[in-house]
Amino acid sequence: MLALCTIWQVKCLDVKRHQTLAVLNPFKAAEHDMMQDTDLAGPLVFCLAFGGSLMLCGKLQFGYIYGIGVVGCMAMYFLLNMMSLTGVSVGCVVSVLGYCLLPMVILSSSAVLLSLKGMIGIVLTVLAVVWCSFSSSKLFVSALSMENQQPLVAYPCGLVYGVFALLTVF
Amino acid sequence: MADRGQSWPTQQDESAIIDLGDVNDRDDGSDYETDMSRGPTDGSGKGSLEEDVRKRLTDNVTQMVWNAGTQQAKRAWSLYGNIDILRPYFNVEPHEVRTRLLQSFLPRMPSSEKQRAYRELYGPLMVVFTLIALLLFQMKAAEHKVEEGTLMGTAFGVCFTYWWGTAALMWFLSYVCNAHITSIQLLSLLGYGLAGHCVVILLGTLIHTSHDHLFFYLLWAVFGGLSTLKMVGVILSRTHGKSQRLILSCTIAAIHLLFLLYLHFAYHQIVEDLSRVLDSDPVVKQPEVVNNVRTVSKDRANKTH
Repeated sequence: MLALCTIWQVKCLDVKRHQTLAVLNPFKAAEHDMMQDTDLAGPLVFCLAFGGSLMLCGKLQFGYIYGIGVVGCMAMYFLLNMMSLTGVSVGCVVSVLGYCLLPMVILSSSAVLLSLKGMIGIVLTVLAVVWCSFSSSKLFVSALSMENQQPLVAYPCGLVYGVFALLTVF
Repeated sequence: MADRGQSWPTQQDESAIIDLGDVNDRDDGSDYETDMSRGPTDGSGKGSLEEDVRKRLTDNVTQMVWNAGTQQAKRAWSLYGNIDILRPYFNVEPHEVRTRLLQSFLPRMPSSEKQRAYRELYGPLMVVFTLIALLLFQMKAAEHKVEEGTLMGTAFGVCFTYWWGTAALMWFLSYVCNAHITSIQLLSLLGYGLAGHCVVILLGTLIHTSHDHLFFYLLWAVFGGLSTLKMVGVILSRTHGKSQRLILSCTIAAIHLLFLLYLHFAYHQIVEDLSRVLDSDPVVKQPEVVNNVRTVSKDRANKTH
């Protein structure tokens, strides 16, 4: 029993590591079955890290993160179900959007040290939003076999992460 | 087998006919479903039976009506509530969306030939979401505070109410004026028309002019006007009759252009007011006031000596 639990924990950690690496390297091709194991622990950790780093900047925005996350996930779930042939589950959407929040966590951590309202801040913000949307669209199209529609998936992801960027900057 | 009370042997001795009116007079301990022995003892057992029958009939009829209504509702939901009926309107390619966005700024002269109105919801939905994001950006930049609500809720409410509300109004007017345009085409047309609003809001937020609104009115006329003319051209090509064309074109032009004015003056104007207030801040003039006080006190000191 203990061995089974250990194996399950190792498998979960392995899934988290793969998905995190897939986000950190957006130019690497994603495996088709990577999102078969939907994991919500990783996205939860990243959301808490995002809220925590904003708190270090003097902003208590946990409620906004939750609200924007829920609305964004619902909108993406509706849109992807309309656009894809196979359909997608809520868990998959939450998992992908949550993991791809990692660049935004890095941006909000950098906001502790430097102001994001200057030119450097604007460039970093745009870079983070593009990174998040590119990673998330890559994972979605690989899971749903929608390679020719990646720009159409990337744009709404970019809007969701753009709203998160507004929380970070203002 | 029914349990027979004491009177039964007596009744059986006297007559083979059983008077049901007497059954309710005593508790015979029978295991009939309906406990007829509970009725009043003065011969109103029939009334109780009738009431029971009426009650059962009412229950059965109610159940039948409920079942029929539930089945009708389920059938209607499976027919109209299934969101899969919207799938064809999201089947687009990236180059199609790009072309339609650009064409929303290129009006064509109305002619006898019908202008194409697309039946698509992906592009218009993305334009509406973009407008919501830009409004949030504008409100955050202006530190706009919303009482009894949130910035996100306000932006969603304003944009979706305009999109669906105007589409519903135009659909009604099109029905009255006999225009050949469907509700999906109107949603698509109005959605793509909001692209002009997005450009104006973005440029107006990034570039501040603290003295007058000339820059905004210029953008309003150019981008708002182009997208309005595009929509008016499509509707005119699908409507017959001068008065009908006039009603539809004036309505859509007025609503479309006034909405952009509303977005500017409701959310962006605050930025201009804040800039003006900060430029004329009296706290900045405080050192001069202190110097004046010192000068006056020195003068008084000199006079007394």
